[in-house]
Amino acid sequence: MTDDDHTESETAPTTAPLARDDVTPDSPFTLPGFFAALDEGDLLAAVCEECGKRLVPPRPACYACGGRQLHVEVQPRTGTVVSYTEVRTPPPALADRAPYTVAIVELDSGARLTGRVTVPYAETSIGLPVRLTARDPDEDEREMALSYEVDWPIHEFDPV
Amino acid sequence: MTDTEPHVAAVGTSPFGRTELTGRDLFSAAVAEAFEGGPDPAEVVDAMYVGNQSESYEHQIMYGTLLAEWCGLRHVPAERVEGCAAAGALALRHAVEDVRSGRRDAVLACGVEKMTAGGTAGATNALSAAFDRALEQRSGVTAPSQYALLAQRYLHETDATERDLARIAVKNHANAAANPRAQFQRETDVETVLDSDYVAPPLKLFDCAPVTDGAAAVLVATEEIARQFADDRPPVRVAGVGAGANNIGVADRDLTFVEGAHEAAAEAYEQAGLTADDVDIAEVHDAFTISEALLAEAAGFAPRGRGYESALPPAERSDGWTDTHLSTSGGLKARGHPIGATGLAQTVEVYEQLTGTATPERQVDDATTGLLINEGGVADAVTVAHVLTT
Repeated sequence: MTDDDHTESETAPTTAPLARDDVTPDSPFTLPGFFAALDEGDLLAAVCEECGKRLVPPRPACYACGGRQLHVEVQPRTGTVVSYTEVRTPPPALADRAPYTVAIVELDSGARLTGRVTVPYAETSIGLPVRLTARDPDEDEREMALSYEVDWPIHEFDPV
Repeated sequence: MTDTEPHVAAVGTSPFGRTELTGRDLFSAAVAEAFEGGPDPAEVVDAMYVGNQSESYEHQIMYGTLLAEWCGLRHVPAERVEGCAAAGALALRHAVEDVRSGRRDAVLACGVEKMTAGGTAGATNALSAAFDRALEQRSGVTAPSQYALLAQRYLHETDATERDLARIAVKNHANAAANPRAQFQRETDVETVLDSDYVAPPLKLFDCAPVTDGAAAVLVATEEIARQFADDRPPVRVAGVGAGANNIGVADRDLTFVEGAHEAAAEAYEQAGLTADDVDIAEVHDAFTISEALLAEAAGFAPRGRGYESALPPAERSDGWTDTHLSTSGGLKARGHPIGATGLAQTVEVYEQLTGTATPERQVDDATTGLLINEGGVADAVTVAHVLTT
């Protein structure tokens, strides 16, 4: 990032509706901004002012009610497994990792997201308490990344 | 009845399965069957839509232009429609709405997919493009694992077991054994399904639809044109069309109810002036066995949490079930699942059932109303439903 980018990141709006000029790579409502925050340790959601829905990653409108009044909120890292499975036939780029566990996790805030679990399938269950972590991508993950994704962190869930 | 009411005038498919034929060749086979004994495409077709999932299989886009040329058309509007596995019924919907509006008299809806081109790895990669890139694809999910997340939760919340899901695969294989179009024209049994390897638990290999090369073509036209193709058969009308969608990310959805599919079916029923009770046969999008259970509930055939009984004879199902026969073609599971062609392959089955031209072993007596539900993305990320009647 350049110094200019840093200057902008301190001023990028954390509430929507967004103006056209608010849609910048350092806005938490864009993927570059979302992953930059995750890289710093913060998983961000947009919270709908109308209905309270939490949206991960943040986006400028709420699918649940259509509202466009939102604010960005750092999410708790802890939650529980809602559903899970084991990937045995992986995408070619991740062949050396298989088998691995993936899960849908509901964070303590109610926000949900899919991610890998760091323990085997047999050690995972519905209701399992987990904690979200983020790390730098490994070599295989970098190889499957598009040019702008190469430095985006990979999120995972560790059992608590 | 108006003179713009859309009818299914003619249908055809290629064989389904692995082949050396390319996408355009498979289309040629489907068109050859659909137009056999009728006017040539150039004499009647006003526009064309092509359902096609991915250019990654054949490195070919512009499928509208290409396939129009391959059936003798050049200056008619022709375009590809994309919606992952719902592309076929999206093409059908465009054709139906063009005829219904009076803008066109005859529109060719077709679909084609050459899935085996890149092997299992190529298909896994191509299909993963349907998932949210930001969080799902980067977590390494695959099509079977996405549906497994739905299945795991369904088995947790309902009385269903892996054996119940296996029965759906067995039923669909039995239906396919009587369908000369099917990729797997052979029966299987519950133990074989349960003994097959887990692909993404609780889903096993035999819970999954196969990788399929194939094409299908459906000519949608006014009744006047339809009669030029099949004067000896009852005309089949497209009485209702519905479309719905859901979140792209599975985590954000109700994991045990496919709301987008429910919306699509409800709209199609409303247009047709019918309810789920009126539906004799339904082709549902059983990309995985769990999908048939979920869609039986979303389409109103089964009470919530009881869709897994779809393989049971109607008399043995729970109270609240309709008498509808599901996936008489063998479904995606056993007829085959050439992604962009699947919605049109479903249409072919409903057409054959309603015209009494299905093979006797799978023909449902006196079937007059059929539903087809075609999904794209994971489950109901996008769904199209059509009600066909005689």
